[in-house]
Amino acid sequence: MSNSPQAAEAPIAEEETPSSLDESAVERISEGAPSWLSERRRHAWSVFEDTPFPSTRSEEWRYTDVSRVVNLADLRLVTDGGLAENGSRPAGLVAAMEEDLAASGHAVLVDGSVVHVDLDPALEEQGVILTSLRSAVHEHGDLLEELLATEVVPPEDGKLQALNAALWTDGVLLYVPRNVKLDLPVRVTRWVSHAGSAVFARTLIVAEPESQLSYVEELLSDDFDQRTFVSSAVEVIARDGAQIQFVSIQQLGRDVFCQSAQRTLAHRDAKLDTLNVSLGASVTRLDLNSRLLGPGAHSELLGLYFGDEDQHFDHNTSQDHVAPDTGSDLLYKGALDDRAQSAFRGMIRVHRDAQRTDAYQTNRNLLLSDECRANSLPNLEIQADDVRCSHGATVGQLDSEALFYLLSRGLSQDQAERLIVLGFLGDVLARLPLGGVVEKVTRAIERKLEHV
Amino acid sequence: MPENQLVEGLGLDEYQYGFVDEEAHVYRTKPGLDEGVVREISEHKEEPEWMLEFRLKALKIYESKPMPTWGGDLSHLEATLHEIYFYVKPQEQMERSWDDVPDTIKNTFERLGIPEAEQKLLSGVGAQYESEMVYHSLKEEWSSKGVIFDSIEDGLKNHPDLFREHFATIIPAADNKFAALNSAVWSGGSFLYIPKGVKLDTPLQAYFRVNQERMGQFERTLIILDEGAQAHYIEGCTAPVYSTDSFHSGVIEVVLKKDSRFRYTTIQNWSNNMYNLVTQRAVVNENATMEWLDGNLGSKLTMKYPSCYLVGEGAHGDIMSIAYASDGQHQDTGGKVVHVAPNTTSSITSKSISKGTGRSSYRGLCKVYEGAHNARSNVECDALLINSTSRTDTYPYIEIEGKRATIGHEATVSKIGDTQLFYLMSRGLTKEEAMALIVRGFIEPIAKQLPLEYAVELNRLIELEMEGSVG
Repeated sequence: MSNSPQAAEAPIAEEETPSSLDESAVERISEGAPSWLSERRRHAWSVFEDTPFPSTRSEEWRYTDVSRVVNLADLRLVTDGGLAENGSRPAGLVAAMEEDLAASGHAVLVDGSVVHVDLDPALEEQGVILTSLRSAVHEHGDLLEELLATEVVPPEDGKLQALNAALWTDGVLLYVPRNVKLDLPVRVTRWVSHAGSAVFARTLIVAEPESQLSYVEELLSDDFDQRTFVSSAVEVIARDGAQIQFVSIQQLGRDVFCQSAQRTLAHRDAKLDTLNVSLGASVTRLDLNSRLLGPGAHSELLGLYFGDEDQHFDHNTSQDHVAPDTGSDLLYKGALDDRAQSAFRGMIRVHRDAQRTDAYQTNRNLLLSDECRANSLPNLEIQADDVRCSHGATVGQLDSEALFYLLSRGLSQDQAERLIVLGFLGDVLARLPLGGVVEKVTRAIERKLEHV
Repeated sequence: MPENQLVEGLGLDEYQYGFVDEEAHVYRTKPGLDEGVVREISEHKEEPEWMLEFRLKALKIYESKPMPTWGGDLSHLEATLHEIYFYVKPQEQMERSWDDVPDTIKNTFERLGIPEAEQKLLSGVGAQYESEMVYHSLKEEWSSKGVIFDSIEDGLKNHPDLFREHFATIIPAADNKFAALNSAVWSGGSFLYIPKGVKLDTPLQAYFRVNQERMGQFERTLIILDEGAQAHYIEGCTAPVYSTDSFHSGVIEVVLKKDSRFRYTTIQNWSNNMYNLVTQRAVVNENATMEWLDGNLGSKLTMKYPSCYLVGEGAHGDIMSIAYASDGQHQDTGGKVVHVAPNTTSSITSKSISKGTGRSSYRGLCKVYEGAHNARSNVECDALLINSTSRTDTYPYIEIEGKRATIGHEATVSKIGDTQLFYLMSRGLTKEEAMALIVRGFIEPIAKQLPLEYAVELNRLIELEMEGSVG
């Protein structure tokens, strides 16, 4: 399977009319693509067809009935970004981009297609790559052929992962060579504009040995009145001694089903931290697997969610300690109001050879209404004996003493409650104080709290 | 006894209850299960028509339910179930006097120390051998106060209304595959009723023994505590070690009325060829307290999650669980608490020890329904791993509706600390002694809740198990 040269200039898809999600879409997207990629998409489609739809009878989908969340037949596949580079941009997108000026580089995606990329020329000179996957297919074909939807998030991971691997239209490649360190984050803004559309994007991040990067993406849209499907596959590799911080802030509009499959691979002495903030969308499903593959590897898995109205969050995380002397620490905190629901299912797996593992997992839920619902399943599977593992989960209400204190200081009930919620969730942000992220997320939480 | 080949030299020698008696049954059904077997069991027990119908319906439910895919490895169970005897009657009738129990059976229980215990400190004793209760007694003092402690069969015969009012209401046949199986073929078990305000000051004990090779034991126990009543019920289980697998699937239903208090203690020490799949559930009414103390030391695979349904305001549920998984054993145990009423409280404490290739899994549920205002629950699980080949898992389910609940879950996994070992050895203990001491300290919070003789037994067992465990 080699990169076919005649395909080098041809754009992947040009048709204007969105199509349905079927095999013909796979063929259309594959037009002009190198044969390895078409082959890979076809394979992914066959895995998709052979995999049954997730049912609540399976442990992993116990709390989210996808068949009721999304009907693939109702969705239209958007293969072409709706807005040109210099076209008018929605206010929400512009506002987000303006906050993100200090950066090593930017990428903007509209409806799953990259419409803008810029990168600090000094970094470009050092060999850093920040580009759309569509261009990377041609410019960095070998890298993608090796790593895209192969070992990190392969279609075999699940029905929706397979669908993404078959139908992805674009996404971001960030590659940082050996010893290169990015001082500022790469900032990515992803906007979705069409109600009733299905958007499939991928992210591939590779940090070569001893390199360092941080990546902050934001998913945004207006509210819709029709179920819209935003699917992401995120593949992150930190080679020996590399350091990565990956942040995803999801503030999609209502009626969106946001599904994200993320896997991080941390090799020897790598440090690979993730933060997933879920504030928007009607239904959010995150599958995050952190694999610790080399001695000395360490991962922090941070998460924050805040739901109101009928929002539904389902976070499915796992920490796989494959090599000895590895560490991981998970903290997911969420607040729920109105009829919001959340499910957290976390798994620490200590493999047989992973002696001297240090692994922690904490999920805390704050319930603000009588109708909200929190489910928490913090699981451990441990097959090595020389380990330190613990997990904890709590579900509770506003701390009455804290509330009383604030009221005695003259705050109104609403103000006091907001402050407590903000403090409760803010804990998570303090663990990854990346420039701009704390402020951005805090503002978003405050905006949401105003409706409480 | 050609089919009773004892497994020897497999390092199971320390299992002291592995002895076999001559087969002494007076009747048994053919191996395997079909409608005919169910009818035979019911006929032998001279049951009313409704019970036969209940059994046949349960059989259909059992056949229609798939084998669970979670928990332990049940892939060989299907084959085992085709070969085992579902009903083995050891003697013609249940005895009230110890002297009337046939010698072979009597010897067995004497070796297990049952009559001694009865004399010393029990309010009553039941002993089940194979499929039937062979002996039941209750101190005069209690029977005169209206306490009923009988075999489940006699419960049905002598107290039909009380029996029918509660039977299968706590655990319906359709609850799970093995509850359905038990409902179809149940035999033996206790029927216990404590009247209003009666407080038993010493425990009742039931002892379960399987002797026959390839035997399935399906005891069914129904316990009703009337308002303000108090009691403590202890069950113990053993079986010989055979090269083929045996099967035990009990259903235990407990009804606690207002202000009553009940503790159910299990010390399960089945041999390592036993599948032990048990459903235990208590419905706990207003201000009543249920305590499950569950010790799982034996069996090949145990799947057992005692549960408390807290349906009355102020009800309390307590589940304490010790699991000890040695080579080849899988203890998949835990507990379930379901808060339905306001101001209900519960706690689950689980301690597990995995040794050799043993695997212990905690599996639990804490569920709070929307109306259960001010429900509080705390779950703590600690696991100790002895060898690098040991395994432990924790699978808690926490499902909470509404803001007025306070729920916490914590679990830790550790190995025996080098510094702890070093300290004890510097004080002159051998490594084995030091390890046994640390393990004992680890289970102490639960062991101290046990009646003295059980606590001693548990400690002795752990010492035995620790011998030669130091690599």
